[in-house]
Amino acid sequence: MRVATARGPRGRTYLAPRRDTPMADYSNPEVLVSTDWVSQHVHDTDNVRIVESNEDLLLYATGHLHNAVHVDWVNDLQDSTVRDYVGAKEFARLCSERGIRPDTTVVFYGDKSNWWACYAFWTFKLFGHRDCRIMDGGRARWEADGRVFTPDIPRFPSTDYEAHEPDTRIRALRDDVFRHLERGGPLVDVRSPQEFIGEVTHMPGYPQEGALRGGHIPGAVNVPWRRAANADGTFKSRQELEAIYLDEQGLRSGADTIAYCRIGERSSHTWFVLTYLLGFDKVRNYDGSWTEWGNLVGAPIEKGEPEEPG
Amino acid sequence: MTLAETIDLFRSTDPDTRLYLLLDYSDRLPPLPTELEALRDAGMGRVHECATPVFLYPRIETEGGEQRVHLHADVPRESPTVRGLVSLLAETLDGAAPAEVAAVPDNLLDELGIAGQLGQRRQQGFAGVLLSLKLAVAGAAG
Repeated sequence: MRVATARGPRGRTYLAPRRDTPMADYSNPEVLVSTDWVSQHVHDTDNVRIVESNEDLLLYATGHLHNAVHVDWVNDLQDSTVRDYVGAKEFARLCSERGIRPDTTVVFYGDKSNWWACYAFWTFKLFGHRDCRIMDGGRARWEADGRVFTPDIPRFPSTDYEAHEPDTRIRALRDDVFRHLERGGPLVDVRSPQEFIGEVTHMPGYPQEGALRGGHIPGAVNVPWRRAANADGTFKSRQELEAIYLDEQGLRSGADTIAYCRIGERSSHTWFVLTYLLGFDKVRNYDGSWTEWGNLVGAPIEKGEPEEPG
Repeated sequence: MTLAETIDLFRSTDPDTRLYLLLDYSDRLPPLPTELEALRDAGMGRVHECATPVFLYPRIETEGGEQRVHLHADVPRESPTVRGLVSLLAETLDGAAPAEVAAVPDNLLDELGIAGQLGQRRQQGFAGVLLSLKLAVAGAAG
């Protein structure tokens, strides 16, 4: 078996995906790594840091990948006073405590088809961390492979980390969305169809999350985030993703696109798909999402099924 | 262990390790009886206010002339925090009178000393679980 290698900065050798794998078709094939790749790099703790990020605060404690550190989206990535992500200083401390340097390769994985891993990935990109990867399939795939979880908590020497100020090119705030609407820019609503349509009745499995109005941002298309993932938590192939986002929904990779959901968590997953797998030029995550828009006085709302893509 | 004793246990545990007590509770939650599996699979008993799938099946039995509450519940193992909290409720309230269930403090997470670590969204989810349980018991007690 021929294994492709590439020589990177500081003379490190990277394992590149084989040309015959589906990963090689993605726009940024090196960003999505397999469980094989991770298992081969799990001891390279000088250069690689594995980060687990889940919905449940205690899931990491029940068992995680060897040498994986934990990032909790609530306690580590969100400001506890103001509704916002943490600032650059807190982010730098988060990295320093986990032994992450600016040139560290950080590999994210987690539960729920890497939903929260993508959220953490997006946050690291917000602060300009250069080399971020996602382990395809997350926890579920690692378990399905029959690989080992450990409860051992690794400790790494703290590092110097200087965070960049947030990169607003990947983030949409409320006023950005208003301007985007004026220009007729494409929006992707990644919630369930029932949330998108704005049904008032309480559907099983779709808890209300504090929005005073239901529906969607006018003009948005509805692509539930889960459509981008296979049943085993891995991402669908490029061909399958293009069939959904480009052919079926009419999105274009050259268009400035905004994705949203309820609090910007599921839309991070879609942001990742559009940006790194399909190579969209500019995708922003509107993290205020429906909990902001559905409670915002005077914000325009559309209800009902989406129009047929033009 | 009663709820009061459980609260004492949590409070007397180091704040840094307190939350991990829930892992034991999570492991101890008994599997759902077969006859309730069909209800769960049909979505009955689901607490909608919690993003994690929580299924509660309280029942009231008359024992020695008194009404006693027993709770079956199901929560995925992949959500050990929620599963642990639901298990804690099921254990501490097993055989309780309906009035005792009604008297469970609404700020239970504060009482246990873990509210801050969970954050508001997770607290709200659990508040929904607790309220659901109280309403179901009050309704069944009549």
